[in-house]
Amino acid sequence: MYGLGPLLESLFKKIGVPTFWAEPLRAIIVSVVILAFIMVVVMVLLWLLRRFIAYMQSRLGPNRVGPEGILQPVADATKLLIKEDITPAAADKVMFSVAPVLIFLPAFLVYLVIPFGKGMVAKDFHMGIVFVLAVGGVTSIAIILAGWASNNKYSILGGMRSAAQLIAYEVPMVISLLGVVMLAGTFKMGGIVEAQSGGFWGILPRWFIFYQPIGFLVFFICVLAELGHLPFDLPEGESELVAGYNVEYSGMRFALFYLSEFSNAFAFSAIIVTLFLGGWKPPLAFIPDWYILSPIWFLSKVGVMVLLLMWLRASIVRTRIDQLLALGWKVLLPVALFNFLLTGGLMLV
Amino acid sequence: MAITIEERVLEKFKDKAEKVKSLPGRLFIDLPRDFVKEAARIMFDELKARYTISVGTDARPLHSNFEVLHFFAFDRDNFRVALRFLVPPDDPRIDSITPIVPGANWAEREIRDFIGVEPVGHPDPRRLVLPDDWPEGVFPLRKEVPYNYQPPSTTGCEFKFKEPPPGATALPIGPFFPILEEPIQFRLFIEGENVVGADHRGFYVHRGIEKLGESQLTYNQIPFLAERICGICGFTHSVCYCQSVEAAGEIEIPLPAKYIRSFCLEMERVHSHLLWLGLACHILGFDTLFMQFWRIREPIMWMAERVTGNRKNYGMNLVGGTRRNIPEEIREELLRVIDQTETETLELCKTLLNDSAFIARTKEVGILTPEEVRLTGALGPTARASGVDIDVRRDHPYAAYPYLDFEVIVLDGCDVLSRALVRVYETIESLKMMRQILKELPEGPTLVKVEEELPPYREYMSATESPRGEDFHYIMLGENNRPYRWKVRAPSYMNIPSILWMFKPGTTIADAPITIGSIDPCISCTERLEIIDRSTGESKFLSQKEMYEISRRGGRK
Repeated sequence: MYGLGPLLESLFKKIGVPTFWAEPLRAIIVSVVILAFIMVVVMVLLWLLRRFIAYMQSRLGPNRVGPEGILQPVADATKLLIKEDITPAAADKVMFSVAPVLIFLPAFLVYLVIPFGKGMVAKDFHMGIVFVLAVGGVTSIAIILAGWASNNKYSILGGMRSAAQLIAYEVPMVISLLGVVMLAGTFKMGGIVEAQSGGFWGILPRWFIFYQPIGFLVFFICVLAELGHLPFDLPEGESELVAGYNVEYSGMRFALFYLSEFSNAFAFSAIIVTLFLGGWKPPLAFIPDWYILSPIWFLSKVGVMVLLLMWLRASIVRTRIDQLLALGWKVLLPVALFNFLLTGGLMLV
Repeated sequence: MAITIEERVLEKFKDKAEKVKSLPGRLFIDLPRDFVKEAARIMFDELKARYTISVGTDARPLHSNFEVLHFFAFDRDNFRVALRFLVPPDDPRIDSITPIVPGANWAEREIRDFIGVEPVGHPDPRRLVLPDDWPEGVFPLRKEVPYNYQPPSTTGCEFKFKEPPPGATALPIGPFFPILEEPIQFRLFIEGENVVGADHRGFYVHRGIEKLGESQLTYNQIPFLAERICGICGFTHSVCYCQSVEAAGEIEIPLPAKYIRSFCLEMERVHSHLLWLGLACHILGFDTLFMQFWRIREPIMWMAERVTGNRKNYGMNLVGGTRRNIPEEIREELLRVIDQTETETLELCKTLLNDSAFIARTKEVGILTPEEVRLTGALGPTARASGVDIDVRRDHPYAAYPYLDFEVIVLDGCDVLSRALVRVYETIESLKMMRQILKELPEGPTLVKVEEELPPYREYMSATESPRGEDFHYIMLGENNRPYRWKVRAPSYMNIPSILWMFKPGTTIADAPITIGSIDPCISCTERLEIIDRSTGESKFLSQKEMYEISRRGGRK
């Protein structure tokens, strides 16, 4: 086994850290590494999003701070950090402070189970997928909390929309994943990647997207809703709800919402890649899956997914809440169920 | 021979009319004050005239009475009628016509605010225009009030919003809101996501333009002020003003000037409609198309600069014609820009209309039925999208429109989608017209010299089709080389109240912004009339002094 966790373990053994301290120490180091990684990812995504969407909209986007504007996110972050932090007088003080932390927590925890490369996973739980779904659900609770605690009508409406969205989308999302789980025979993220090795005719890789095209589509749409991206950014809905649940937040706390949004965009792209696009496996079946190259394959696939998300973001009209719920309950849920039955049936045959 | 509309109107009022003044295409009838409701009913319900606007005039220096004029238009016959009622100053009251003509709601409240003539029996007699701290009993459009008068601020006149129905809560849209470029407030009454009612408050940004025109400026300065009424469709106001002065003063302008006015008006329509299409996309969260529409609008702005010297506020109009011609040598270039804009518009609109999400968001949203158009007096694309076939360019021809070929776009979807489509097709029609004008533009002088003194106390009304609908100006010439009364009625003045009718059962919060946006509200246009008062605005509970103190403390309590 490679990866950060085992690596640290052997390192600790070598320098003789007592076993009592080894585990917490390891947790702290892993957390710091993940946190640093998230920061870098968010900075890159922020810049990419702004430039990419500007390109789509025939604008220039930020291009002044640093070459091609790559230091813009740094400037933005600095600005957010030194802004005044306002708590509205009518807000529920405790909940108002808890919500931003609570929203960042799942964004952070999801990274624990993502296999970035061959064996490069912080903790490959046996119930990896279930963990991702459970943790992802917390995001919505944090949004509802933020909306409620702000004591602002726009915020509460945003929170309520988020709750409705959560129920409508978690269900088809889970069911669409069942197909993958059935094929792989495991909930483990690493195991699912392993199950996608090999190829058709030695060229095309055996990715689950080819076995589960319907499941992929349903999951992808649900991820859009989960992320609150256009066309499903209803909890924020700028033109209707100003900024929705985070309208009262400013400064550092607002930065946490922002951070978790981008961090989630990356994390869920990574999950899509892991579950459907062969994770860290090379894109063609005949390429040997070397340890060194695996994170590169992984990150470039995630990059493509992220760009796809941004592309969609720039080219779709925001839906209305009733249309969104109708899509979730009346279309995605039956389709996901059908996919589940189809997979089961085919496996029996 | 069929009887003319003029004879039909006169027939109805022949017993009551105290004085009749007949001008070409215009009729002024003086009627007794207690006959107002019946007269409105005859015009609106029996003769099916379209209600245009009501104007109050402080005519005490002329005949020691206030005047209240109700304007009606017969669009099929190119005919306009003004019913004039004299109101004595010792009993400044007149029966409200709002119960019969709902569209008169604002106009009557405005007359009450500015002239002090009380509409008796008005269903919603709240203040409309004056700010919260304006004292009762000071009427800014009365002649004795100077244009720069700042009354001491008072309390107790605060505007009161309607209470939401039981079980509902009020959600403010505005005065400052991401989709509103200008301050206006709609207070939605919501149950969950559903809108069950609404209230409106506007008039946060008055600039006292009518008062300025009546007291400070001269005839030939006003076109430049009129142009600044609106940041988008200003030129139509200056054309409308010039036309009414020219008609009242019997000035015939040269043919090239008419063509150039039409050209600039159509140019304005194109850029305004493209701007609106962009904004509509923005409201629906489709920012890419928003940017693209603004990109293709840019050459039109360039063209405006090339033709007039300015991107906006063209400064072309004077009473008596336009200040310059379109030079021969740039016409080729302009034609190229027109072609390019046409191709790009068609391309983008195809993208937009093939988007099923866009259709789903706009179809059957914000319904306004033809009957409601009649009642509210909604105008322009808002009316034409509801199947009401009115267009000033065809019905009351002005400038070069009698010589141009164009189609009036009428759709009957009654919804936001139809309003968008009407604007798309109109853009194309306008580009065609611009092309035709460039090809047919006659040579010659564009301006006639105007006598310095126009004969006073003549009156006339004129209208133009602005991008948002009929723009209506009423003018009464005065002494000292300036009008005695100049009334501006922008199309949004009629369209904004119609928004409240569009919030039908089943509307959700998400529909509200695009419904508000669908009439292309132009708030500066609507609110041109008040003495400037920088202090009040939002400060319902704060005096000016307290406001300053808070600002100095940096917002801390």
